[in-house]
Amino acid sequence: MKLKQGSFLWYLYLDKLYCLLSVRNVKALVEYFHLLDVHRKKTLNDVLFYHFLHHVTDLKRNQITIVFNMLDWNAVGEIGFDQFYMLVCILLAQENHLEEQFIFRHSRPVFELLDLDGELKIGPSNFHMYNFLFKIKKQQLRDLYHDFDITGDCRLNYKEFKLFTIFSMNKYQESQKAVKEEKAVPEKKCHKL
Amino acid sequence: MEEKPFKALAKSSGHRGSGKSSPHDTRNLWTTATQSQPKLNVPLPTVREDSELEGSSVGGKTRWSYNQGRESDDGEDKDSFKPEELDEHALMELEMRRGSSLGGPLEEDDSKTDDEKSSSVSSLNISKHTPHRAYWVEQQSRLPLPLTELMENEALEILTKALRSYRSEIGRDHFLTKQLQRYIEGLKRRRNKRLQVMVI
Repeated sequence: MKLKQGSFLWYLYLDKLYCLLSVRNVKALVEYFHLLDVHRKKTLNDVLFYHFLHHVTDLKRNQITIVFNMLDWNAVGEIGFDQFYMLVCILLAQENHLEEQFIFRHSRPVFELLDLDGELKIGPSNFHMYNFLFKIKKQQLRDLYHDFDITGDCRLNYKEFKLFTIFSMNKYQESQKAVKEEKAVPEKKCHKL
Repeated sequence: MEEKPFKALAKSSGHRGSGKSSPHDTRNLWTTATQSQPKLNVPLPTVREDSELEGSSVGGKTRWSYNQGRESDDGEDKDSFKPEELDEHALMELEMRRGSSLGGPLEEDDSKTDDEKSSSVSSLNISKHTPHRAYWVEQQSRLPLPLTELMENEALEILTKALRSYRSEIGRDHFLTKQLQRYIEGLKRRRNKRLQVMVI
């Protein structure tokens, strides 16, 4: 998923620590949502939502439908600002390569989004369905179920999912550290010369 | 929750994403004017909130009339002065300089006491400063104009495409289609008004 360069969302940015928008960004987003709220119901219906997402991202029609159904958690056929804000944070997290931090910081809401049936457990099919949003790779999924499916029912409850997010976050931080060290080594060599 | 991210944002604002640093990024759309405004506790003349359709035209008029008023002031500042670029501190400095230059002819009048001079200068400063404050208060609650323009243009594009879907799916005569059409026309009118004001 890529945001359209130069679009309004492209100019927003998440705080890297908490993976949330700042107050100023939220203020701007509220105004933007208000502009799209044509029928003055403080919601976007499926048509408006589709055209919005189609305009600002490269998502396909079926993916947009999946996102809409995921966010329409009350099944009213409309998306309110809370869900809109959540979506924008997810899009920005992906755009800025902050998926691991985002899932770690907001594991509960992400779990609830993935748990489409409300069974308080998520299976591999849930992850596959939303892979274009959360970018959990196949190998990660295999490790996930191998290492964290403590109950052994091939599905994760929230605690198992939380453990997974902590583990992924640690792994991500270690890889970032390794990358920094690799970059620092040639600089040291240059200094010595 | 929002305070810490705001501070962290100051650190993270230098870059977006992993290793991305674009010169044409967010900072070009966000002005610094609204960032540095302190809280103003002094009661001010009421600033009318914009209605949906009038919107930025009021702000535009305010800025235009403000700039017009500024033209008669000290010529040194005219070229470099843009209200949205100066922060409160710079404005205060300008006011003090203007106050001291205005104080020249007043000082020559021997009949006036120092208190009267300082009160007249300060009243002049206040009367000059009041429209500034109202302007800045208004600006503080509004988004920067480039960002507003971007949002409105994008919303217009999205809604125009949505209108086509409405017409094909629920028909031209449906009340939702008509409502959307009227809304788009209102947005276009507002945008054109703002463009006219900017041209002037």
